[in-house]
Amino acid sequence: MNEQNLDLITLTIDDLEVSVPKGTVIIEAAKQVHAKIPHYCYHKSLSIVGNCRMCQVEVEGAPKLMIACHTQVQPGMKVRTHQTSDKVREAQASTLEMILINHPLDCTVCDQAGHCKLQDYHFEYNAQPSRFIETKVSKVKAEPLGPTVMLDAERCIMCTRCIRFCDEVTKTSELGMVNRGDRSMISINPGKELNNPFSGNVVDLCPVGALTHKQWRFNTRIWYTKQVDTICTGCSTGCSVKLAIRDNQVVHVKSRPNSATKQDWLCDEGRYGFHRFIPKHHLKDASVKQQVVSIADALNNLEALKSNDTAFLLAPDLFLEDFYLVKKFRESFAPEAQVAVAYRGRSLTELEKILISPDYAANFRSAQYLGLISDNPESDYQTLLNKIYNQEIKNLVLVGDRAIDLQDLNSEIVSAITKLSLSVAIIADADSALRTTCNVVLPSRSVYQKAGLMISNKLRLQYSERLLDFDFSTHPHWRYFEMLASKFGKSITLAKEDREMTLALLAEINADPSDLNTNLRLVRKQGLEIAFQ
Amino acid sequence: MKILLKGIEFDDNVSVAGYQSRGGYESFRKALSMSPDSVVDEVKKSGLRGRGGAGFPTGIKWSFFIPRKTEKPIYLIINADESEPGTFKDRLIMERNPHLLLEGILCGAWALQAQKTFIYIRGEYAYPYTVMKQAIKECYEKGLLGQNILGSGFSHDVIIHRGAGAYICGEETALMNSLEGKKGQPRLKPPFPAGYGLYGMPTNINNVETICNIPFIVQNGGDAYFKIGVEKSSGTKLISASGHIKKPGIYEVEMGYPLLDFINNECGGMLEGRKIKCIIPGGSSTPVMTGEELVGVNLDYESMRLAGSSLGCAGFMVLDDTADMVEVLLNLTKFYAHESCGQCTPCREGGHWIEKIVQRIADGQGRPEDIALIQSVCGQIAGHTICAFGDTMVMPYQSILKKFASEFEAKISLNPNSLVAKSKRLAVLQENQL
Repeated sequence: MNEQNLDLITLTIDDLEVSVPKGTVIIEAAKQVHAKIPHYCYHKSLSIVGNCRMCQVEVEGAPKLMIACHTQVQPGMKVRTHQTSDKVREAQASTLEMILINHPLDCTVCDQAGHCKLQDYHFEYNAQPSRFIETKVSKVKAEPLGPTVMLDAERCIMCTRCIRFCDEVTKTSELGMVNRGDRSMISINPGKELNNPFSGNVVDLCPVGALTHKQWRFNTRIWYTKQVDTICTGCSTGCSVKLAIRDNQVVHVKSRPNSATKQDWLCDEGRYGFHRFIPKHHLKDASVKQQVVSIADALNNLEALKSNDTAFLLAPDLFLEDFYLVKKFRESFAPEAQVAVAYRGRSLTELEKILISPDYAANFRSAQYLGLISDNPESDYQTLLNKIYNQEIKNLVLVGDRAIDLQDLNSEIVSAITKLSLSVAIIADADSALRTTCNVVLPSRSVYQKAGLMISNKLRLQYSERLLDFDFSTHPHWRYFEMLASKFGKSITLAKEDREMTLALLAEINADPSDLNTNLRLVRKQGLEIAFQ
Repeated sequence: MKILLKGIEFDDNVSVAGYQSRGGYESFRKALSMSPDSVVDEVKKSGLRGRGGAGFPTGIKWSFFIPRKTEKPIYLIINADESEPGTFKDRLIMERNPHLLLEGILCGAWALQAQKTFIYIRGEYAYPYTVMKQAIKECYEKGLLGQNILGSGFSHDVIIHRGAGAYICGEETALMNSLEGKKGQPRLKPPFPAGYGLYGMPTNINNVETICNIPFIVQNGGDAYFKIGVEKSSGTKLISASGHIKKPGIYEVEMGYPLLDFINNECGGMLEGRKIKCIIPGGSSTPVMTGEELVGVNLDYESMRLAGSSLGCAGFMVLDDTADMVEVLLNLTKFYAHESCGQCTPCREGGHWIEKIVQRIADGQGRPEDIALIQSVCGQIAGHTICAFGDTMVMPYQSILKKFASEFEAKISLNPNSLVAKSKRLAVLQENQL
């Protein structure tokens, strides 16, 4: 939307003047003066129902308080939020009291405790003891809504965000509201269950602890975890996520609304499927023909790579840094060498298409960006696989655990690789079939053990954070290429660790190298749009 | 003066032939000869106000449809979801005078150029439903509904739909949601029904009694109607009288009729040996009026408003001095707590909270601070909800608590655990010791 073409409306919020496009609701306009209006049911990506009554504001001339989520701005409107109006503060306190009268207050065992809007708002806007001494309404405490989500109806505050998500975003309408009055509760519609590919989002949307992930219920208190803003490496959509980590384990995955991409959701595969990126056993030692050797010794066996008969097969979830050094290495020592990324397309249902990209290749765009592979990565990959089958190449470097897609990793390809004169695997998973297949195996790190840049399907440069600890005997993939290059007598980077490498790369990509740290901060937070040359 | 109850004493009034024998459908023929806009003008001139409770001028409501720029079909909805406790006037019309309603619908549909009318009838009204259904069927057979009515080129369909027994579906937007097959919960306004109503089309919604006044207005002109009643409340009003009176029933009176006269003459006065304690004048959701407050009050919108209550939909409940106001309030709170749609927080939670407190008081476990607490919760509900349910719910609560506080205090003081009772017992003890 081109904002310059829209009529701007000027109004005052808490005596501060703001200009916003016509049709904006007060709650959005208030963000411009940093007046955070508390709300439960409002969500900018869902329709407006105005049922929580938490966002009431005073509008001059209106007989009663208006809800900020539904009232559109008018020229000259004078709005007072809780910051300047006693009436609004009273209304908010009373709404909170009402919401809490039938709430079980089982914060001590509730997964939401610590990141619960009820707790936050109660402390901020009410903080009074309840005057309610009657018996609370009891409802179901643990009803499975589907394979992934559990409902605790007593904790529910009936904001209906989950219902609206299923009605409006996935359009699958699994959820509804049954009964009336204080007996009303969220329920699955008859004959359905909540099992759409985005079901986990309803838990993110739930402002309280009513909806929880089956998988992570009663798992950990949120304040014992480290929360990291990163991106999902499941497919090339590269959704923004927030991961909670405790004791070097991922314990919770949440979608992280990204204002730049206007994306608020996360698919269940990305949310619950992160385990596939974490090897059960990490590879710690280098080996040559299954014999454990030091990394330096292993590298001594790789002189043959300086040949145009070498081929590089790269995993699609490597970082831009890795691809970059592969490119540099190839330019210096094997300019005619074959390169391919293990890209396999996938078919998606109409519903999945709203978010998921048709691949499992999180970062194939980076390889394209660097000119390593063509516009048709799948045929590049198949061509190279055929060359391996036909023994048309002599040396093969497999970079990353998924350098050969798991669907293709069968006994035929394994025997074809063993027949090659030299095969090198740079992998992190000790259980990988490549470990016993390749002549030389170098220990590396899984995608969560290193940090680096990724380019999404929509050409957005993003940053994947290091989440888990790594073994110091390992190196990130790109580092091996520098070690080899210096061994061959021509260093290709000065960087020694991830961050240095990232900054060096950013300096090359970006027009303004003077402010790399700011750039990196932006890339980490919301990503940066880039253009292919 | 009988406008609405005309002809109900005849059993054949439910048939087209019987109704026509007393001049039925003449108004509609006359309306067809007028332009739609001039029908709206007559209604405007008549000063007719909506009989559903709010008393909004019908002519003004209809004139929202005058620009007719829209390509969309206009719908007319007849709100026959008469669920207000103490109100049963529409039922009589539909049972005994169904063709008056249908004629009113036809006149209104012509004035608004509406394509379809939906009658949303209360689920419990099984018999009125069958009568209405039969009347609609007969109208289709006689060419009074359907395509090209009476050769005029005007086509109109009437669909009658039974509700499922929810009070809230009498609220116009909840009614529309219910008609659309959704859960009967009020919508946020704006958009208003006149622009975006049933199935997103411009929709006009009128009460049964309102629309039944239209044939008279068309036949005799708006001015003639305006002369009936008083200045700001013209016409007649059906009053459903119930309670401790000798002759409960439905009475058609001219607006501005003295209230006490109505009780003493039409209703036959209070039951033998009883004294009037209070009335709830407009259906249960209006403030109560004590016996003393009734003097000099007339049955019209303005006079009732000045007296601190409202004519509402004129569901008169007369209570005598045997009525226990705690039980009255408990009854009301139970109804409203049960009927809250559960959508927005204050009404969903607050209604039940009040019910539980009143129940506790009625059970003899009240605390002295409970009265103030109920008043405070009422204040937290009123004005903070999506629809008017919250506001109308607390109006009787607040007035009963205010006007009959002594009864509540007396009940609370009987609580063996209350401080008042304890201090009284202490006083007695001390006296005995002295």
